[in-house]
Amino acid sequence: MIDQLLVEPFRSPYMQRALIEAVLLGVFGGVLGVYVVLRRLAFISEALTHTVFPGIAVAFLLDASLYLGAFAAGALSAVLLTVLTLNRRVNDDAALAVLLTTFFSVGVVVVSRSTSFTADLTALLFGRILAISTGDIIQTAITMLVVLVVLALMHKELILRAFAPESARAMGYRTDVMDLALNLLITLFVVAAVKAVGTVLVIALVITPAATAQLLGRSIRSMMAISVVVGVLSGWIGLVLSYRASVDHDLRLASGATIVLIMTVLFVVAFAARKLLDLRRTRVGAG
Amino acid sequence: MDWLTEPFGSDLMQRALLEAVLAGALCGAVGVHVVLRRLSFFTMALTHATFPGVVIAALLGVSLFFGTAAFGVVVVLAVVVLSRRRGLDSSTATGVVLAGGFALGVVLISSQQGFTRDVTAFLVGSILTVEPGDVVVTAGATVVVIGLLVVLHKELVLAAFDPAAFEALGYPVVVLDIVLLLAIEITVVTSIPAMGTILAVALIVAPASAARLWTERVGTAMGLASGIGAACGVIGLWVSHRFDVAAGASIALVAAGAFALAWLTTPAIGLLHRLRRGATSDAPLSSEGQPVA
Repeated sequence: MIDQLLVEPFRSPYMQRALIEAVLLGVFGGVLGVYVVLRRLAFISEALTHTVFPGIAVAFLLDASLYLGAFAAGALSAVLLTVLTLNRRVNDDAALAVLLTTFFSVGVVVVSRSTSFTADLTALLFGRILAISTGDIIQTAITMLVVLVVLALMHKELILRAFAPESARAMGYRTDVMDLALNLLITLFVVAAVKAVGTVLVIALVITPAATAQLLGRSIRSMMAISVVVGVLSGWIGLVLSYRASVDHDLRLASGATIVLIMTVLFVVAFAARKLLDLRRTRVGAG
Repeated sequence: MDWLTEPFGSDLMQRALLEAVLAGALCGAVGVHVVLRRLSFFTMALTHATFPGVVIAALLGVSLFFGTAAFGVVVVLAVVVLSRRRGLDSSTATGVVLAGGFALGVVLISSQQGFTRDVTAFLVGSILTVEPGDVVVTAGATVVVIGLLVVLHKELVLAAFDPAAFEALGYPVVVLDIVLLLAIEITVVTSIPAMGTILAVALIVAPASAARLWTERVGTAMGLASGIGAACGVIGLWVSHRFDVAAGASIALVAAGAFALAWLTTPAIGLLHRLRRGATSDAPLSSEGQPVA
């Protein structure tokens, strides 16, 4: 049993690489997600996952580095998003949607000029965690290290900004610079994760484990621990599940999407558990 | 004028044109309420999370419209239930539902081989393959949804601007909310053949935002947004044919262009106005044109 779940699926090198990548992204997304959820930046993260797309599409056609292309487009949009959300006169919710679809459309237009349109688009949208190379893993690891160090250095300020934005401003912190920094860190995560799970599902790796942690955690530290555990656990279960389905039942399940589905299931379980606990507490309180 | 009308010569293109005009008008009108209530992210989630409905309908051989519409109801309910929890931000809940729904669609699709072509059509739209039946469905949805918005206009506007007063007057808030969300859902599902699941939100939000910049009145904005949406559909389709690029993306880009134009030319907050005003004084003006103290 343990052999079937732990050892056997990961005999082949490509599965080992997929597992390492999934664990790295689980830790990376788990930690970053806590800040994203506390700041309520789900929509901004969603926008950033789509705005890297034209960069990837252009890099793909030019045969240049996908990471570089994705980061260039992502960084440009992170700056634009920060400026848009600072300007309170436009409804930032609508402005984000317009920016997101504009960037994405440029990507689709670029890709639609290529002959292998459908195949390329499918790969970019859905990702291929089983085709991850050692080089990809090293890039993910380095990106993660950089982002985690920056987050650790800015931790106190980011938390203050999340819970008491007015105080943060009054104490002289440049909140606009901090917002831009956090948006750039999210961009780095998107760039690191996009090859594994594709543009649309990257958002899950940031939001879902952290949302689960928000339901269960009592402090920021416990939130972070829960978020990382959920991220890593989902990566492992998702890979094993898609492997077993393919070997035992000849059923192909996209690995990246299976990981996201496991995350969603864990979130739903946490939501139900929280609801039951609350119900019991109110009943005890009333009695 | 031949180069202008030539692309619309064939039956195929005329059908696509009709679909684009109808979808544009419908999206524009509904979009005003989406923008008013800041429901862009919810609309986005709806477009992504109904994806499994497309796959299931295709597998069962039933109408795709019906499949997405049925699954959309599930999505609406999921977001409403999750957002009601204290401590869970509604945008976080929306993000979780969006990703979970889309992942379910991807997993379902990956288990079926030889499905990729249809998927791409649904992700980025394929307006050139619309059937006469699709156009009839779109026309029906346009009449029903716009009719609904007109009939409930007063209530919707009051609820959007002053929800507390709306509730105090004894109106059923939750019922109206759900009716509006379902109207948005029908719009999203209807515009998928033209725009695809990912870009449908562009045709809903961009023309409405442009119209809101030009006018304060909600009713006027709805008419204006419908017109802009329909125009975006026509121009986008023409650009797509002329330059051989994806139709949904062309329409989305034209819609973004309309928004940019509105942003530049709006009285009071537009860039042109600010530049002109900047030459005389930096102070904001009151309604009488006097600098505010």
